[in-house]
Amino acid sequence: MLKFFENGKKILGMNSRNLSYIRPCNLSKAKRLADDKILSKKFLKKAGIPVPKMIAKISSSNALEKFDWNVLPSSFALKPSRGFGGEGILVVYGKKKDADNVWIKADGSLITAEDLKNHVRNILDGSFSLAGVSDTAFFEERLKLLKLFKPYAFKGIPDIRVIVYNKVPVMAMLRLPTRDSGGKANLQQGAIGAGIDLASGITTTAVQGKFKIIEYAPETRFLLSGIKIPYWADILKLAVQAQEISGLGFLGADIAIDKDLGPVFLELNARPGLSIQIANLAGLKERLNRVQGLDIKTIERGVKVGQNLFGGEIEEGLEEISGRKVIGTAEKVKLIGKDGKEIEAEARIDTGAHSSSIDADLAEQLGFEKTVEEFKKIDTSGYILRPENEAIIKKDFIEKYKMQIPDLADVAVIFSSSGSSIRPVVKVNIIMDHIELISSCNITNRTDLKYPIIIGKRNLGKFLIDVNKK
Amino acid sequence: MYANCQNAGLIINFITGQGVPCDTVVLLLMFPIIATIIAFLRQIVGIKAFGIYTPSIVIFALLGTGLKYGVAIFVSVILVGMVARFLLKGLRLLYLPRLAITLSLVAFSILVILMTGGSLQRTGLAAVSIFPLLMIIILVEKFIAAQIEKGGKTAMVLALETLIISLVGYYVIKNGYLIKTVVLYPWIVLLTVPINIFLGKWTGLRLSEYWRFREILKKSK
Repeated sequence: MLKFFENGKKILGMNSRNLSYIRPCNLSKAKRLADDKILSKKFLKKAGIPVPKMIAKISSSNALEKFDWNVLPSSFALKPSRGFGGEGILVVYGKKKDADNVWIKADGSLITAEDLKNHVRNILDGSFSLAGVSDTAFFEERLKLLKLFKPYAFKGIPDIRVIVYNKVPVMAMLRLPTRDSGGKANLQQGAIGAGIDLASGITTTAVQGKFKIIEYAPETRFLLSGIKIPYWADILKLAVQAQEISGLGFLGADIAIDKDLGPVFLELNARPGLSIQIANLAGLKERLNRVQGLDIKTIERGVKVGQNLFGGEIEEGLEEISGRKVIGTAEKVKLIGKDGKEIEAEARIDTGAHSSSIDADLAEQLGFEKTVEEFKKIDTSGYILRPENEAIIKKDFIEKYKMQIPDLADVAVIFSSSGSSIRPVVKVNIIMDHIELISSCNITNRTDLKYPIIIGKRNLGKFLIDVNKK
Repeated sequence: MYANCQNAGLIINFITGQGVPCDTVVLLLMFPIIATIIAFLRQIVGIKAFGIYTPSIVIFALLGTGLKYGVAIFVSVILVGMVARFLLKGLRLLYLPRLAITLSLVAFSILVILMTGGSLQRTGLAAVSIFPLLMIIILVEKFIAAQIEKGGKTAMVLALETLIISLVGYYVIKNGYLIKTVVLYPWIVLLTVPINIFLGKWTGLRLSEYWRFREILKKSK
């Protein structure tokens, strides 16, 4: 119990955030800059930091009446300049073809120029601004979702929050919009925050909303840990650079990754939330204390210090937290075939493949020579290999040949750009990193390939893959 | 009649002697105490509520309406505020007109409640004076603002926290001993200043944060 309260010293609470960090570090001039998105956009752009391009802005109801809606492209985001918590942001994804100035929203519903006008009016009136004061609305280009994030994000664009203090990135999380958050990457509204190991840019633990610790993206079987964030070093650099030029000593930097543009700076945050600590299952105060007073001369140095201090033990940490082993893209495995025959081989770890497959020679060595031989004799040219026929082909094959061919566990119909084929499937036990997997492997000819075996998604549930691991 | 200044200290005697009503004197002295309680609950315990103004005004309103009716009206105001949110959502109105419609809904509901109270011979309810009533009704603005800024769920939590703080505050200022002490030694109210200086410098975790960050606290070695 005493330990419990002792641990409290590592955590940054609201009182301490306000009194010890925001007040002394973020002067009101810098805060004003952060709270005004149009201003901070200009400021960041001037300093060479990539930001989403601004299309137009409307700052008075007079300008609204005169506004030419034809200048808007088919997709854009409409935002209040002083909005907070993602409120008041409206995103359209396309323009309706045969209508005049009608756009399509993420959920497929239509929105007319009149609706947009109403929304702008609400923004101008200050409905979404911090103190309810009148505000400016602006249109900016819509960011495109990175393919990597597609399975994890519901509708909106995920972003990365980095806390920077004394030119050192101290903590980071990946924020993923969910159904609960209505496509907004804001934890208060139910988005997911996945903690990030600062050294490698790989996600560790995750929280949804303010409290709920989760492992998988909602309604899916996609693990939230082990996601490797691209452009990681660039992202940290941008965050530190933004701190340096904005004068916010205690900064929450929001950075998104666009499919085409790469990392773009979204927002400066002068009052970063505290839930990032839950996402990382680590206290911020302890980290801030370690960084305080360090003399950091350059941006690169700051990034390095952060990476060294608050990352690196990812592998053991990950394995401990997730209960999964971290493996590289190529791993030594031991195969156990028929009658306990054992063979060691180098396997390619391929998350693009659904199932695992082994080379025909290797299969013969494992005692499946008869299976391979008999299968070769079958004429498969009569089957039309299309995904919609898969079930029929499988059923037909099993009925006809299950008895004839020894050890045939199943057949696999593989569709690929280099040619589709029907392959025999046998049961093989695979031992990888001391974990034994009972696997169905299809047999194919891999003699020209570097690895005689590939391990596919279906057998990788107990592992996390680190592409940098040798 | 809220307080009794017959057994008062020198200063209170002097002030009441100038014709200032005893209730006014004691309530003014109670105000810093209430504010301090609210500050304490925010900084140390972590109960947020709608700032300091709303809970204090509700506390004083409760004095006027009585606990039972005050709480009933408070709850109805919040309920109507919630219903109004759903009714008006589709209209996409600007903030002030939306608030004005919500307020009229609240006003009508309160009228209905008072009328029902009267017809059920609950004369206490029907006779609730208008100013405490208005003080509670105007709370709906804070509620609507919180709905817009922080979402419906958070607004509900804040409303509930406001009610809790108001109840705590109500029982404190209704406390006979406290009233007597303040009447006898009004200077003790100044004690709230050092207390607030301490609260204003307190950087430890709030009690609620021990709950919020429990997963980290459990995990750290």
